[in-house]
Amino acid sequence: MEIGPIWRAMMRNKTGAILIALQIAVTMAIMVNAISIMQEKDRMMSRPSGLDEHNLFSIASVGFAKDFNERVTIEEDLAALRAMPGIVNAIQSNAVPLSGSGWSMGLQTEPGAEIDGTGVGLYFVDEHGLDTYGVNLLAGENFSASDVAWRERAATEWPDKTIITRAMAEAMFPDDWASALGKTVYIADTQPITITGIVEKMQGSWPGWDGFERVMLVPTHTLFGATVYLIRTEPGMRDSVMPQVEELLADRNKDRIVRSMRSMDEIRERSYRSESSMIKILTFTIVLLIAITSLGIVGLASFSVNRRTRQIGTRRALGASKLVILRYFMTENFIISLGGVLLGAALTVGLNILMIETFSLTRITWYLVPVAMLLLLAVGQIAVFGPARRASSVPPAVATRTV
Amino acid sequence: MFSYYLKLGLLSIRRNPLLSALMIAAIAIGIGACMTIITVNYVMSSNPIPTKSEQLFHVQLDSWDPNQPEDDGNFEPPDQMTYIDAMALMKAQKAYRQVASNKSSLVLEPQGDDERPFSVTSRNTWADFFPMFDLRFVHGGGWDDASDRNLERVVVLSKEINERVFGGENSIGRRVRLSGMDYQVVGVLDEFHPVPKFFDVTNGAFSDPEEIYIPFNVAVEYELPRNGNTNCWKPVDGDGIEAFLNSECAWIQFWAELRDNSEKQEYMAFINAYAEQQKELGRFPRPLNNRLNDVMEWMEDQEVVEDDARVMLGLSILFLFVCLINTIGLLLAKFLGKSGDISLRRALGASRSSLFIQHMIESGLVGLAGGVLGLGLAWLGLRGIEMLFGDFVENMVSMDWVMVLTAIGLAIVSALLAGLYPTWRACSIAPAGQLKLQ
Amino acid sequence: MLSMQNISMVYRADLVETHALREFSLEVKEGEFVSVTGPSGSGKTTFLNIAGLLEQFTDGRYELDGRDVSALTDSECSAVRNEKIGFVFQSFNLIPDLNLFDNVDVPLRYRGFNSAERKRRIEKVLETVGLASRMKHLPSQLSGGQQQRVAIARALAGEPRFLLADEPTGNLDSQMALSVMELISEINRSGTTIIMVTHDPVLAEMASRNVHILDGRVSNGDQETTAEPLLSQVATA
Ligand SMILES: Nc1ncnc2c1ncn2[C@@H]1O[C@H](COP(=O)(O)OP(=O)(O)O)[C@@H](O)[C@H]1O
Ligand SMILES: [Mg+2]
Repeated sequence: MEIGPIWRAMMRNKTGAILIALQIAVTMAIMVNAISIMQEKDRMMSRPSGLDEHNLFSIASVGFAKDFNERVTIEEDLAALRAMPGIVNAIQSNAVPLSGSGWSMGLQTEPGAEIDGTGVGLYFVDEHGLDTYGVNLLAGENFSASDVAWRERAATEWPDKTIITRAMAEAMFPDDWASALGKTVYIADTQPITITGIVEKMQGSWPGWDGFERVMLVPTHTLFGATVYLIRTEPGMRDSVMPQVEELLADRNKDRIVRSMRSMDEIRERSYRSESSMIKILTFTIVLLIAITSLGIVGLASFSVNRRTRQIGTRRALGASKLVILRYFMTENFIISLGGVLLGAALTVGLNILMIETFSLTRITWYLVPVAMLLLLAVGQIAVFGPARRASSVPPAVATRTV
Repeated sequence: MFSYYLKLGLLSIRRNPLLSALMIAAIAIGIGACMTIITVNYVMSSNPIPTKSEQLFHVQLDSWDPNQPEDDGNFEPPDQMTYIDAMALMKAQKAYRQVASNKSSLVLEPQGDDERPFSVTSRNTWADFFPMFDLRFVHGGGWDDASDRNLERVVVLSKEINERVFGGENSIGRRVRLSGMDYQVVGVLDEFHPVPKFFDVTNGAFSDPEEIYIPFNVAVEYELPRNGNTNCWKPVDGDGIEAFLNSECAWIQFWAELRDNSEKQEYMAFINAYAEQQKELGRFPRPLNNRLNDVMEWMEDQEVVEDDARVMLGLSILFLFVCLINTIGLLLAKFLGKSGDISLRRALGASRSSLFIQHMIESGLVGLAGGVLGLGLAWLGLRGIEMLFGDFVENMVSMDWVMVLTAIGLAIVSALLAGLYPTWRACSIAPAGQLKLQ
Repeated sequence: MLSMQNISMVYRADLVETHALREFSLEVKEGEFVSVTGPSGSGKTTFLNIAGLLEQFTDGRYELDGRDVSALTDSECSAVRNEKIGFVFQSFNLIPDLNLFDNVDVPLRYRGFNSAERKRRIEKVLETVGLASRMKHLPSQLSGGQQQRVAIARALAGEPRFLLADEPTGNLDSQMALSVMELISEINRSGTTIIMVTHDPVLAEMASRNVHILDGRVSNGDQETTAEPLLSQVATA
């Protein structure tokens, strides 16, 4: 290969080469860091919720009439829902996992105001809770109907049982999560509450919170005026059941309104909207960027082929085959791109360090750098192929014809 | 002469349509991407109430947990205030104006039988809210202090709700049924969409403003449900609303209007004295740490501009940079491609400076075209963002004339910068160099 | 070694047909030095391009070294040009971005010689044309005559059996033209077959034979010239 002369010829026209290399380098820095951000978002979104997500939906009920009897309404609603064909189970609760709103409390292993609790997302459920969520009980037992209390909005008393997630057990008992079962812990500083069950996994209300997977279930019905029902349907029945449920609840009682009926899939989608949008925007950005860079390469390479038409003809006359000419331009681009991606690797790491410092983003995974280098080298070769083909079809007679 | 250069520039742009198109596209895409993101950032960081943002102060009292880790002495007092403190500050009336407020979700029952009840969001606040935050009315006005004191069930409707319930008529004096109780309409607001929604960023800096406004005291009296964030560092002592109101739970946003620095100093002294006095009563167990932040300071403090938006801003500026390098390369190719023409002009007596102007004008023209096209792309980009994020960004995706001018200015400046080096190279082509045979 | 029979060459551009060569026949033997003359547009360059396999002809038969050229593929043509033919152009056609060494190196690279062999040949031919000391210079740093000598060196480096030159002195003043002509004659004496297009009758007479082209045809009566006396005559002129 004639790398030496190509290099020396390039050095006589440095600017174009440097501009392309620089463009490739910055493109690579943006691309790799954007992909790294996307990976981070994707990791966040792909954490399993532990719920039977595709068959769950929720609907809110808000009582407004003066004589609205919330307790009776809830009891009758639940009975009607659980009896409905297509519905596996249903609960009344204070909030829906992943929805962005809910309760959090602190649990502590010792009583006392001066002790730091472990933050935990809290859901009020009854004995149908585990089945409705579709979570997997690892140890202990479910609540029974007699455990379930009724709670007014301004009440402060807590029941004496709770089921927690394994993540919560691990946070409170780091040495042996299984030992959490049967332990008495304290809620609201001093009230004892016994852990009677541990579920494998369940996500709470706030995806951005580091305690997202720390959840506790409390056997209580709430009388807060506004409430949500969480409903689990037979597989595939959700979409047909949803409108029926809405109608049923709206018709059953005129003293309240039902609203915000959403499938769990929709709740997840809304909750992660900014993450998924960011992924789309970044993907679009990368595609656009690569397109611009390739167009730039095409433009400059075409120009350089035009400028060197005579030289190409001379080379052909001196015995260069078409393939040799093609290879010349491909090699030239490869050298430039190689410079670009090497500089790009440095820029990528630099930009990443900057982003880690300013936005506490994660470090890029190492393999992204070589993969991006290969990708951009390939992009360069593809982009230059057209102009290089045109160069190779310059007729040798150009050498004698053009003055 | 300028018009001659303009003509030359246009001619040259038309002579290499492909190269010119490529350059204009590169600038347009760069500007489009950049302006889309800049607009979002600009709106996120814009001043929602420019006329008085420096006189409105968010009040924070550190009534928090003594066991809370100190965070290298930088403990941020709670965003919101407890009922006890908010009431004490309201009562003291030490600021020119002050309001405590929170939000609720209520059910509105329209009069007609066939119309279904629907839920509305309500801001529970004080008479001063309306003059303090410069709200304008279509009909009527806010309520007065007496209404606050006497627990009058009065309501101010947003324009949209008045439209929905009363068909946009002047509804002053009419009754609205909210969660089982009648309220009398005293005012109908004009459009009110502050972005960010500065007076309650705790519950969403970019969420829509509430649909109705009722007296805070009424909401407390009738135990209307609280719909915002509630934070307690200490369990509530006993059952019932009384216990809750007397608890250390923070759920109220508190703002004070202080017209100048001395008022601010006095108010700071006042809240510090209040905190000292509370310490004597056994509350406020932490060291003195009260804060007054004006609107923009508070937006900064609350990091209203999201990290994602700032990351995107950085990336989009780099993106524009790539587009500019692209343009430099293409301009260089183009200018050197017509070196014959240039040396001919030089031989015919064109001075270096006139060539310089000629080529800079050509670059500027490319920039102008790129800017206009980029503006269109930015508009598309914003529609795209709106589609992706949905109602969350509804208030963030409109461009004002500042943004339009910025886009075009940025495009032209970018193109001129990009044109500088190629122009310099073009100008240094020797007058005869290209005329003789190689 | 070169034999053309009834070659015609027609350029078609849109509706216009240009007959650059018609029924053109010519034989050139090993070791000959043929000058080609004729008015502008008569088809001299076209003939040279076809002879040097730079262009495909429309009709007729052309054998080079006894081999029918029309059967060769594009890359076979390239290989033949590279090995057997050296070119010298009117406007030198040195590659402006490469120094003299790299310019002479160009055909040798395509030939696939190793670097020691290339270096040896480059130094030798640059020595021959008297420019060995300027190996690292760029073409733009040389005079026209020097540039053409480099071009000749480049043509000779591969030791071709055939040297084709299209008005090699056309862009040179008479002093330089003479020195270049001496170089070419010397090359011919060392055994290389040469075809040289020129419009200068004095230079044409330095060849062993002159072919005059008129309107795409060889005009009657090849003139045999005796090289020896004329050369000395020119040299003293
Ligand atoms: N590529 C071409 N397309 C069309 N006509 C051509 C082309 N090349 C040469 N010609 C025509 O062929 C004729 C012979 O040209 P050429 O061989 O270059 O003449 P000479 O070298 O004797 O001056 C001329 O009339 C010329 O215009
Ligand atoms: Mg000719």
